[in-house]
Amino acid sequence: MSLSVLLVEDDRELRATLREALTVEGYKVRTAASLADATAQMAHAEATGDVDLVLLDLGLPDGDGEALLAAMRRQSTTPVIVISARQSDGQKIRLLDTGADDYLVKPFSIGELLARMRVALRHRGTALQAAITHYEHDGLLVDVVAHRVGVDGQDIHLTPTEFKLLARLVRSVGRVVTHRQLLADVWGPEFTEHTHYLRLYMGQLRAKLEADPADPRRLLTEPGVGYRLVEPAA
Amino acid sequence: MLALDGRVDLANLAMILVLASVVAALWLPPIGCLLACTFAVLAFNWTFVPPRGSFTVDLHQHALLLATMLAVSWIVALLMARQRLLAARERRHAQRAENLRATSEALRDTDDPIERAPQLREALVQLVGTPVTLLMLRGSLPSGTDGDPCLQLGEASADEQTGLRLSLRDSRAFGPGTGRHQEQDAWYLPMRGRSASFGAALVSLRAPPAEPGEVRAHAQALCDQMGLALERAQTLRRAVQAREEANSQKLRNTLLAAISHDYRTPLATIMGAASSLHDQADRLSPEQQQRLAAMIVDEADQLSRLTDNTLQLARLDAPGLALQLDWESAEELVGSVLRRVRQRDPARRVHARIDAGLPLLRCDAVLLVQLLENLVDNALKYSDAAAPVEIVARKLGDQLVIAVGDRGPGIAPAWRERIFDVFQRGERADAPVGPLHESGARRGAGVGLAVCRAIARAHGGQLTLRARSRGGSSFECALPAVDPPEPAAAAAAENARP
Repeated sequence: MSLSVLLVEDDRELRATLREALTVEGYKVRTAASLADATAQMAHAEATGDVDLVLLDLGLPDGDGEALLAAMRRQSTTPVIVISARQSDGQKIRLLDTGADDYLVKPFSIGELLARMRVALRHRGTALQAAITHYEHDGLLVDVVAHRVGVDGQDIHLTPTEFKLLARLVRSVGRVVTHRQLLADVWGPEFTEHTHYLRLYMGQLRAKLEADPADPRRLLTEPGVGYRLVEPAA
Repeated sequence: MLALDGRVDLANLAMILVLASVVAALWLPPIGCLLACTFAVLAFNWTFVPPRGSFTVDLHQHALLLATMLAVSWIVALLMARQRLLAARERRHAQRAENLRATSEALRDTDDPIERAPQLREALVQLVGTPVTLLMLRGSLPSGTDGDPCLQLGEASADEQTGLRLSLRDSRAFGPGTGRHQEQDAWYLPMRGRSASFGAALVSLRAPPAEPGEVRAHAQALCDQMGLALERAQTLRRAVQAREEANSQKLRNTLLAAISHDYRTPLATIMGAASSLHDQADRLSPEQQQRLAAMIVDEADQLSRLTDNTLQLARLDAPGLALQLDWESAEELVGSVLRRVRQRDPARRVHARIDAGLPLLRCDAVLLVQLLENLVDNALKYSDAAAPVEIVARKLGDQLVIAVGDRGPGIAPAWRERIFDVFQRGERADAPVGPLHESGARRGAGVGLAVCRAIARAHGGQLTLRARSRGGSSFECALPAVDPPEPAAAAAAENARP
């Protein structure tokens, strides 16, 4: 059964291009050009369970896509990837914190979009499934349950905070985790402004896990937004 | 005189009396002096003229003597008084001339004569001794209507304000002695420039000064000086404004010309490749098609970055820019730059060297990544395809310096500053003639370096270009290193635990 994608985008050319590209990849694509259209289709989809992923443009003629995201998050966990021409980080962070699974800034390449979609789909419904506790990629092995971390077969000692931080990234592997989310989950909700903690501990983690901390391959920085643990090749 | 009595004859004694009255005339006011002379002659008559002890005069010649004495004393007194009056008037004139000179000098020394309004007001109050109100045009040229924005110094009723406006608009003085609106109890004096008036003064005449004509003339002179100064300042302001407008127009034109050049080049490539794919697809080999498609992707990417830079420059130029400041580590910033440029750096020419233990930076991560990405892009573009590009981060004194160095041909000394201007492209140190873009060999930094410098400055830092000793250029961004809050200790403590 092919996966179904709802593409909410008001620009006709981009909508057509994306639709074609996604169809070629084997997705079943529905499109909406306005907020009202998208809301109606989502309401229908809630009933039939017929949408697996939403690609949401923000600047729509009859409103902001953010409103749809907020409404959707009240009742469903369908993955949402925001595509937007706006580059304000404040908004990116807000969207990620309100429940967007990922964001792409226009212009983006189809390859990038497909990769993000694969990640989002793989995590579909993780809120219901058991949390990810195992990560293995490119020589790095993390077993959250056994509290073990190894690089190329060598056990690595992490401090408790370093381990909590890494485990949090493993839980959302492949996706951006905002500074705020990381700080709240690892240190506690009262620490969400203490970005400098994060910098220090990420530095320590990289020093222990990366071959060249200045050119990281595993723990990637999204400037101004958060961090992303590289997704293992599917 | 009594001592000389009997030894000197009467006429000589009279001479002493005349001397005394002349001396008195030097100090006493004219009326007092006349009275004193009269009294002295009467006393002389009583004391010395026979028969002594009475006002009667025996001899005719004595009567003549007394009359002459009285006349001479009076004339001397009057002459002296007149002399003193003239001298006083002279002094006043000199003082007013000095006053005018001082005002004009003060006005010449200031860029904005309106700032000197309080001094003018004080000078007028001193001159007339009554309250003075000033009304001055602020900034704009006189439009002939009452709507011009004005500065008012002092109190004025609605009627008085109307009078001031009228005097300003008509460039005419009103009030007693001016020939217009004589019934007013105040003078309305315009501050006249060459072409129009730029303000007006209201001088109340509740206690009219002596010599009103002269005082008014002087007050008018003071006002006119202010008027001229205001006119001069406005002419100057207009000239500066015109020059600035011309400059910004020129800058805009350069910017537009350069933007359209920089945009057109990748657009031309995209258009060429895309139309070729569109029209000739059936005659192109799969490899050719692939190459064309790759070209479109590359150029679109370039265009996208150019757009980012242009928009960022506009944003950084706007007043009231708010940076998203946060604590960032140099290692992470450089790491994200490396990840972003890797796609354009298949040969992996870019290497990073980060000193250990660098302090965190207080900066806007997105902007700083953009800065470094631009520098690395330039370094890749302007040096040979095999030459390495280095990103180095280290602490120098109280600054954190992130430098991007290449082994390219370097930048000609004359261009080392200008290259940071919007849409300048540097001349290579070894280039025979002409700036780079004329050779058409490489596409330019365009807004890139201007954005970089703007970003560095917005962070209180500096971006400079240094020629490297063994060839190539190093663009060095120095940012102030600030002490981050306390967490280092906590982190260290946790690490120390086994």
